[in-house]
This record gives sequence, C-alpha cells and structure tokens, in this order.
Amino acid sequence: MPSRFRSPLLWITLAVLVIAATLPWYVSAYILGLLTVAYYFGVFAMSWDLLFGFAGEVNFGPTFLIGVGAYTAGILNSHYSVELYLCVAAGALAAVVAGFVLALPALRLRGPYFGLTTLVAVLILQSFVVVFADLTGGEIGLTIPDVLSINAGVNYWIALGFMAVSGAILFGLAQSPVGLILQASGQDPVQAGALGFNIIKHKLAAFIVSAFFSGLAGALMVFYMGTASVGTVVDLAVGVQVIVAAVLGGRRTVLGGALGAIFLIVAGEFLRPTGELATFIVSSVALLVILFFPNGFLGAVLSRGTRS
Amino acid sequence: MLALQILIDGFAISALYALGATGFTLIFGVSGVLNLSHGAVMVTAAVAAWAAGSVLHLNPYADALVGLLAALIAAMATYFVSVQPIQHSRRIPGEEKEIFILTATLLWGIMLQELVAYFFTNNAKTVLPIVQGVVSILGVRTPRNEVFTAIVCWAVIGLLWLLVNRTKMGKTVLAASMNPRGVTLLGHELTHIYIVVWAIYGILAGIAGVLLGMFLGVSSYSAGPLTASAFAIVVLGGLGSVSGSLIAAYVVGYLETLTAYLISPAYRSIPALLLLVVVMYVRPQGLLGRR
Amino acid sequence: MTSTWQATPILEVRGLTKAFGGLTAVKNLSLSLSAGEIFGLIGPNGSGKSTAMKSIMGIVRPTAGQVLFQGEDLAGLPAHKIARRGFGMVFQHSRPLNRQTVLENIMVALLPDSLLKVFADPSLTRRAREIAQRVGLEPVLDRRPPTLPFADLRRLELAKAIARHPKVVLVDEPFAGLTLAEVSVFSELIRSFRDEGRAVLLVDHNVKSVSALVDRVLAMYLGEEIVTGRADEVMRDETVRRVYLGGAIETAARPETSFKDKVPLLQVENISVHYGKAQALNNVSIHIHQREFVSIVGLNGAGKTTLFNTISGFLPYAGEIVRGGQRMRGLTPAQVARSGIVQCPETRELFGEMSVRENLDLGGQHLDDTERESQLAWLFDLFPILRERQAQMAQTLSGGEQQMLAIGRALMMKPEILILDEPTLGLAPVILEQLSKALEKLRQTTPITVLLGEQNVTFALPHADRVYVLEHARIVWEGDPGRFAREAGVDYL
Repeated sequence: MPSRFRSPLLWITLAVLVIAATLPWYVSAYILGLLTVAYYFGVFAMSWDLLFGFAGEVNFGPTFLIGVGAYTAGILNSHYSVELYLCVAAGALAAVVAGFVLALPALRLRGPYFGLTTLVAVLILQSFVVVFADLTGGEIGLTIPDVLSINAGVNYWIALGFMAVSGAILFGLAQSPVGLILQASGQDPVQAGALGFNIIKHKLAAFIVSAFFSGLAGALMVFYMGTASVGTVVDLAVGVQVIVAAVLGGRRTVLGGALGAIFLIVAGEFLRPTGELATFIVSSVALLVILFFPNGFLGAVLSRGTRS
Repeated sequence: MLALQILIDGFAISALYALGATGFTLIFGVSGVLNLSHGAVMVTAAVAAWAAGSVLHLNPYADALVGLLAALIAAMATYFVSVQPIQHSRRIPGEEKEIFILTATLLWGIMLQELVAYFFTNNAKTVLPIVQGVVSILGVRTPRNEVFTAIVCWAVIGLLWLLVNRTKMGKTVLAASMNPRGVTLLGHELTHIYIVVWAIYGILAGIAGVLLGMFLGVSSYSAGPLTASAFAIVVLGGLGSVSGSLIAAYVVGYLETLTAYLISPAYRSIPALLLLVVVMYVRPQGLLGRR
Repeated sequence: MTSTWQATPILEVRGLTKAFGGLTAVKNLSLSLSAGEIFGLIGPNGSGKSTAMKSIMGIVRPTAGQVLFQGEDLAGLPAHKIARRGFGMVFQHSRPLNRQTVLENIMVALLPDSLLKVFADPSLTRRAREIAQRVGLEPVLDRRPPTLPFADLRRLELAKAIARHPKVVLVDEPFAGLTLAEVSVFSELIRSFRDEGRAVLLVDHNVKSVSALVDRVLAMYLGEEIVTGRADEVMRDETVRRVYLGGAIETAARPETSFKDKVPLLQVENISVHYGKAQALNNVSIHIHQREFVSIVGLNGAGKTTLFNTISGFLPYAGEIVRGGQRMRGLTPAQVARSGIVQCPETRELFGEMSVRENLDLGGQHLDDTERESQLAWLFDLFPILRERQAQMAQTLSGGEQQMLAIGRALMMKPEILILDEPTLGLAPVILEQLSKALEKLRQTTPITVLLGEQNVTFALPHADRVYVLEHARIVWEGDPGRFAREAGVDYL
C-alpha cells in the first residue's frame, strides 16, 4: 500500500530534511529560532490534519489541546520543579485526557455542534488561565525555569528531529490500514458502519492521537521559549493559524501541514517591517488561498497525480 | 439597593447583548453562516463613530450615523469577500463549505481588527454619548445613557420583529430561513435575499457597536471577546432561535452582572462559560434550538 | 428461474415498525428470507421500503419488532455489529475513497475492526483480487474511482458488500442509473450470489425491472405490506394494481389539432441530464401547447422529477428548452418561476412554520392587493378546505391538505404553465377525488397549461390531452390517453 509514495516523495522529503539539518552551521541564530517555532507549529498542523483530513472532524480549537499540554508542563516545572522530560510527558498525558473528555460528548454531535464544542473548550481554557492567575501566570504568562538547551543549534535540531519523527508516525498512520478505515469513516460514516467498522471508536482514537502530538509539541515548545502565555498557546488566533497552515499546505496530506506552518511563520517574519500590518497581510493571503486554492500546495500537486 | 442596581445594570447590558445576538442568529438562521467576524464589525462601528467625533468633530447623532454606515459596509464586505465566493465556488466540495466559510469569516474578522488597530491604534475609545446626565430610578443613580441604551436596543428588536412578521420583504426572509428552495420556486433570487439579510445584520451590529462604544467603550482587542460572547449566547439559546437568543442574552447578562458585583469584575465571564459547558453536555442544541 | 431455496429461513423479520416522531414509516412488517433466495421489497417513494432495509441493517434503530438471524434477534444493534454477523449492503449512492485504487477500496472492506492494524496483511491483497475478479473489476484494479465509468463504480459497491462472504446481501435499487445492457450483467451477478447460497434482499420501486430476477416479492404501500408472493402473482394482484396504478380509467382528451398556437408553447428538445456519472435523462423530447394538459406517466425513478427540475432551471443539461420561440438556457430557477413556469414539486416545499394564509400570500406577493384578494377568493372556491384552515400552521395539516396548499400557492403566482410532480403520492382516495375535481375545474375554466407527472395512471389519464411514458430515462411512448389505456396500461406494472 505505501508503494505509491515510496519513490519521489520519500526521497525528496529525506533530501529536504538532510539539508535542513545542516542549517545551524551557516545560518544565523535568529533564523534558527524562527524555524524552530515553525517546526513545532508544523506538528500542530499535522496532528490537526490527521483529525480533519481523515476522520473528517473539524477541530476549531486545536489550541485547547496544545494549551493543556503546554500549561501542564509549564506549571509542573515552574511551581513544583519537576524534571523537564517528566513535565513534557505529563503535558502529553494531560492533553490526551483532555482530548478524551472533549471528544466523548462531542463525537455524538453532528453538524456545526462538534466544531462549536471545540471552540467553547478554548474559551473555557482561556478563562481558566486568566482567572487562576497565581497558578498560570494569568495574562502576563508563566515563566519557565528549565529550558531544553541554551544553544540555538541544539534547540533547532531537537525541533527538527521531533517534527520529522512525528511527521513520519502521523503520515505512516494515515497511509496504514487504520488510516484507511479512518478515511472511510470520515467520508461516509453510514457506509463505514455497514462495512463493519465502529466509527466512534476509530474517531476517538484519531482524536487522542491528535491530542497526544499536539500536547507533546506544545509542552516541548514552551521549554524552548521559556514562557507559556495565552497569546502563544491558547488564543483562538493561534488556533486559526494552525488551521490555516494545514489548509495552505493541503488538507488530507498530513505532510502539507509542516509546509504550511513553515510558510506562515517565515512569511510572517518577512512582513515584520510592515509593523502592525503584518498580521493583516498574512490573514489576507491566507484568505485568498482558501478562496482560490482550497487544496493548498501539496493538495494541488497530489491531485494532478490522481487524475492521470 | 444593591439588588436594584444589579437589576438595572444587568437589564441594560443584557439588552445590548440581546441586540448583538439577534443579529448573529439572523445570519445563521437565514444563510446558515456562523459569522466569526461579528465582534470586529461591532468594533468597526464603535471606532468609526469615535473617529467621527474626535477627528471630524461631528455631533453625537452624526457620529452614530457614521458608525452605522461603517458597520453596514463592513457587513456587506463580509458577505461578498468571505461568504459568497465560497458558496458559489466549484473548487470546494459541498460538505466542506461550512468549515471554509467559518474559517474565512474568522480570517476576515482578524483583518478588520488589524485594520482598525493600524489606523486608530488599539487603545480603548469611548464614543460621545447622545444622552448625557444622570437619572434616579427608584433611588438608584443611573446614567441616562444606560437607560437610553436599553430603550434603543428593545426598540430596534421590536422594529425587527415588525419587519419580519409584517412586511412582504420580512416574510420572504423568514420563509427563506425555513425553506430556501421554496422561495426560489416562488420566483425570488436567493442571492438578493442574502444581500438584504446581511444589510439588516450590518445595521443591527452597527447600532449595537455604537451603543457599546457609548456605554462601555471598545478597543480593537474587544473584537474577539465580543464574538465569543455573542456566540456563547446563541449556542446557549439554541442555534437559529431568535427568542432563544433573547432569553439566553438575559441569562448571560445577569450572570455576568451578578458575578461582577457580588464576587469580582475579573471573574464576570466564568459562570456563563460554566453554564455553556453544562449545556453542551446535557442539551447541545441549546434551550430552544431548532436546527 | 431456478433457486436453491432451503426450508428454514435464515432471516425472519417479525412486526418491524419504525416511527420518526409522529410519522410511522414502517408498520408491522413481516417477511422471511431463506438462503439461496432472491426476495424483492417493492414500493413507490414513501412506501417505507428503504427504511425497512435500513432497519434490518441497523442503520436506523427499529421502534419495535424483531429481526431474527439464525435464531438471534438483531433488532436495535448498531450497523457494524450486524455487518460482522454476516450482512453486506450495497448502497444506492457510491462513495468510494477517491484517492485510493479500486484494489485498496476493496481491501478496506476486508479489514478487521481493529485500532492496531498498522501494517498491511499480504493475504488481504490476494483476497481482494479474487473478489475483484468475481465482479468483473480485474481490468481496473489499479485505477482510481474518478477515472472509472458509472457501471464499474457500482461493481465496486457490489464487491465491497460481498467481500467478507456475507450470508445475507441487501441491495438498494440495484439498477438505478444503469443502461439496459448493464442491467442484464448485474442481474447475472446478483443471481450468482444467490446460487452461492446467499440470501439476497432487493429493494426497488419498479416491479417490472426486478420481476425477472426475484423469486418472491413483497409489495409495500404507506409502510405496510399489501401482498407477498411470486413476482407475476403480485403484478396481477388487484390491490397492488389499484394502489400503484389507480382503478378504472376514463379519458376526456382534446385532440392535438384543437390547440391553436402555431408553435408549441414549450418545447423540450433532446435533453440529456447526468447525475455525476449516472444518466438520468437520455435524449428526451416533449412539447406542450397552450392550454393543453399533458401527463408524463412513469414509475418512481423513471426521470420525471429530473425532467421537471431541468425545465425549472435547477439542473445543467445538454439539448435545448424553448419557450415561445425563446431559448431558456441560462435562466436561474427564480427567473423561470417569475416568467410563468411554476413547479409544485413532489416534496411540496411548504413553509412549515407559517400559516396557510401566509404561504398563499407569499405565492401572491408580486400581485397588487386587489388582484391578490380576488385570486385568493378564487382559490378558496377551488379548495374550500384551505379557507377553513387559513390560520393553521402548514406543517400541522394532513397530507392531502398540504398538497392542496402547495398547488394553491403555485396557482397564486398565476402561472402560464403549471408543473405538478406526483401530487397524489401517499394520499387517500377521497383526497384524490377532490384533487381530481379541482384539476377538472382548472381545465374547464382557466387558460392554464398543465404538465402533470404521475405514476398513478387513473389520476393522470382523465385530465390529459396527451400522454408520454417515461421509463428508465427515455420517452418510450407518446399518444392520446384512450390508446394508452388500451395498449400500454396492461403492461405498465
């Protein structure tokens, strides 16, 4: 089954990864930092695409899962001085539990209600963070004492490696038999049921996998940035960026999410000199892409393949 | 005394929420769109009114009119930029149109918000109130503006009711919300109906925005929370039900006021959100939900 | 027509009932199915046959009744559990995974319901190939669904349904969208399933098309069984004929030459319409003169609704539609309605939460007040019950009253051409009388032109000046109603 993707795509991806790994030797620390954040965003987008592109469920609040992972890890480290990698593990676990609690009622709902539930979850997390400010640092944010590394290059490699491994796992899952069942469940739940698949079980599993990777990436990211705040890991606008990254890269491709995230972060940086208008320009470009190229970069490339 | 003050303040803020939520529900009920740029449209109205007053030095009535016009333009732009192209697009499959429209309105809302911040900074602004001074209601000193806000909100809601139930155009719009194919079979172009509805929405959001600007003031940062609270109210009341939104607006408004007075203003939005969680678990279609 | 029929039924449905809120779609249905038998469940739209099939498969939960499979009651179990016990279903609308090959699509049907299957099982590939060979998909195994013709997509659906060698195969509308040649190939395939010892349950609206294939038939109407038996017995059964076709036929046609327009008011020329890959209309031509009443007769699924929706501007088509010398291509549905061609669809499309009066007023919106008042008065004379129920909410009316309201609303627009799609579907005979009288009055006292689509021949013929028969997307007969009653009527069912 993976034979279709064995050739060009795999070798191109490997080549790109190898090139990316050499960057710390000749690129400035500032750009490395930028790409580091972009790689974490790439994992956010790829986990979102697994849920949307395959299970067919739109998660409007990916930052609920990211935020739970990030804040759990941050709080444990900041208030209880728990060791770094334990915090990260705890963050991922917390996101999984949160995902389970959210998914169980949400998956029973149809139409816009599922999306609404995910949006509401983000609002609630946001209020929670603001209200329990002594625990979470409120609107100012939480300072996190430990860091992954003080070396920009090391941080970069950690992020790159994490993205590559997560991408490989998520992509592999999507192409595997489990991924096919998920795709069938998302596209035509009635028929999938008649073929003998318990779709709720499969969608729940997809949600939990998505939650795991989102939470893990969120937890790692705060140990890179040294802070956790609403504006970076919880805000709806951040969630929108994740969704836009996945759509830009191409829905249902998984790998497209990484591309889209890198594009967004790098583009945002190029526009920094425009000051206030940077967000405006990125949003308008994203809107144009959604309107005129809804299949995104990889999506357009891949669909040319299906037509032959 | 305190109870009376809570009653009065709660009534006014709820009325404002009710107006905003009615507009939001109208758009959802007729064209099926959850407009996530709602808050941004209201902020645009408020800031435009403020600019008319501070920069052009117009009188408060003219300020309000400018704000209304700005909201109307913003609402029409929302329809033509982020809703219509997707509804008519052949590249986007039918089942995914809803999600795309949602994302597009969200992006457009961010764009509007950033534009406002760019031209007018993100500082808080208050619009010069049309009605000034203080009046005493049963012993409680209340700003006249607050009373004015409540009266105008309810007057507008009443006018809307009359429009929908007593005029030809209004009935067509109501029919379109029940059965779009039915109105097409009777010779009405759906696109025309949508344009009318978005225009009405623009006016409603504009009035709500300007009143908010006069009552509490806004900044470009208010856009997000305003959308969130309108959205929470509409979900609580039941998607597509105008009466549900009205009731929910009052529930939320009073919950917020009670919390602000009795516990702390910082926690004002918590109880409503908790209620929302309960509703999502127990009765996700809301109080009077239809669709 | 041999069958390897066995004595004990493998599937027994007893007292199956399904209600959706206040509407009972299936009432107390009982049937039994044996291995090595093909059983047909027949009925028009709204008869409950599809709901019955979905209830057996577990796609909807039965309100009451038992579904006994090899002794175990499956009623109420979710679809995936019923499927795993040995059921396969062929859905009417194909929805394959477009980015996967045919082989991969079939493999999905072979997968176990496990969360842990991360690696592909090589034996599955072999089994998938065998199944593909069985249904004739071998040449296209490595192609993707968007590149395949419609018939191959239907084969893929058959393959998925039989992939795990189910004991019971349910098929929903097996021949919809297929050409006559393809129909015989598919019939052979389904026969071969039976000959392998499986029990096959077919659901179709058309007795004639499945009569050669089935061993036994159950005819349904309004959720209940009319009769069960061999196909030819059921087709001759008096109740079935009356219910599906209506009773004795009288005609009162005006000859075509009596219509004075030089060019027919509406000309539909060689139109073809496709739904995705399925052909819904194949080179259909009809014409209608001013003041003429034309009936298009055909069973459900023949293409009547597609034809009407095409005329009304809802569907893209090849060919031309000409009105009074002007081509209608490019008009939006609302423009078509405003220009005087008003459709009263099968689904009626009423504004349920509005009153009868409000619905009618909406129809008459473009008239000025005095004109509307007089038109309303005239309409209330035509349908007195509407005057009585003016203030009542439309969705609380009975079926017959809703139909009258729908027709009334269309008439409020003062149409030049009125299109009526299956007005009698699901209505009691006494209502049919009233509708019939109303149509007669329209014919005698107004200059209206009417295009009526019906499968109830007794209703369609008395008011028709000319009749077309639409079958399987083509016009197969045209002529005056008297001749139809003599020639085609006997064979019709």
